[in-house]
Amino acid sequence: MIIPVFNEASVVAGVVEEVLQTFPHVVCVDDGSSDHSVPEILKTDAHLVRHPVNLGQGAALQTGLAYALRRPGAQFFVTFDSDGQHRVEDARAMLDVARDGDADVVLGSRFLDHARDVPALKRLVLRTVMAFSVAGRRLKLTDAHNGLRVFTRAPAQDLRITMNGMAHASEIVAYLARRRWKVVEVPVSIRYTDYSRAKGQSLLNGVNILFDLSMRQRGA
Amino acid sequence: MLVKLILIAAVLGLFVAFLRSKPGVRIQAGKRVAVVLFAAVNIYAIVRPGDVSAVANLIGVGRGADLVLYALVIAFLMGMLNFYVRFKAVDQRFTALARAVALREAEVVNRERFPDDEPHGALAASGSGSRPGDPEGS
Repeated sequence: MIIPVFNEASVVAGVVEEVLQTFPHVVCVDDGSSDHSVPEILKTDAHLVRHPVNLGQGAALQTGLAYALRRPGAQFFVTFDSDGQHRVEDARAMLDVARDGDADVVLGSRFLDHARDVPALKRLVLRTVMAFSVAGRRLKLTDAHNGLRVFTRAPAQDLRITMNGMAHASEIVAYLARRRWKVVEVPVSIRYTDYSRAKGQSLLNGVNILFDLSMRQRGA
Repeated sequence: MLVKLILIAAVLGLFVAFLRSKPGVRIQAGKRVAVVLFAAVNIYAIVRPGDVSAVANLIGVGRGADLVLYALVIAFLMGMLNFYVRFKAVDQRFTALARAVALREAEVVNRERFPDDEPHGALAASGSGSRPGDPEGS
């Protein structure tokens, strides 16, 4: 279980404790937080990897994967957001799908079942992004920007996230489509608390994501 | 307006050519030659503005100064792109470095925090050569 953390001191310990009840092996990647996230994580039984400087969420995920891959016996790799928006039960259900061998990669989707929980504007933007995503259409995905994912070992080893910022979500989808891993979406619900709403990425950030991705696809 | 087509084609063409190109000796040399040429043409334009105006009229730009301005815009865009691409490459190296540092430190810290966890065979072998018991840096 990989949890990227950036300035989440007020909630991270609670989130980690909750996750640890179900998933014994948790690694938190602190992405150069400037608040008290690190001591909060050290209070828990999660492993901690600290970026010496802030690199971005994509970089944190890649670091967490690299660390988790070095753990002996690790077969499944779950990415989980640190702000408490995901539900552990959903992660559990996704892991079961991967365990059954039905998929190499399991992605959480907010839109398969619980679409009504998502604020209308956010739903519109996320759907639009998907409509523009060639890779997302090929895999018939409904939600590319969900932080809850389960990787089996082979794709986790093979994945190279180069987009340090928020564009990594689209990069992961493009990668999955390119390498033809078996991808399954599982409905998850998001706890849109006031906290996660305040922290959530600005919709304007979509512009940045599109720019970064288009430059990358041109071979930059 | 012939010039509009020329300029738009030039901008797009350079843009694509630039992004498609793999960094190499030829590209590097090409960029440098382009910079020198650009400077030389500019000096020429300063010395003999009449000639520039003549060229401008020939291809449909109003004045020589406009032509120089357009050329400047193209050069500026190319420069920006150049820096963007180079910055990305540096950023990736920087990330790899930071990640290596983070992982190395984490192995030490977490081994101290959870001594019961069996260490990874390969890692223990490669890590034992480094400084023993290096405490957390920051």
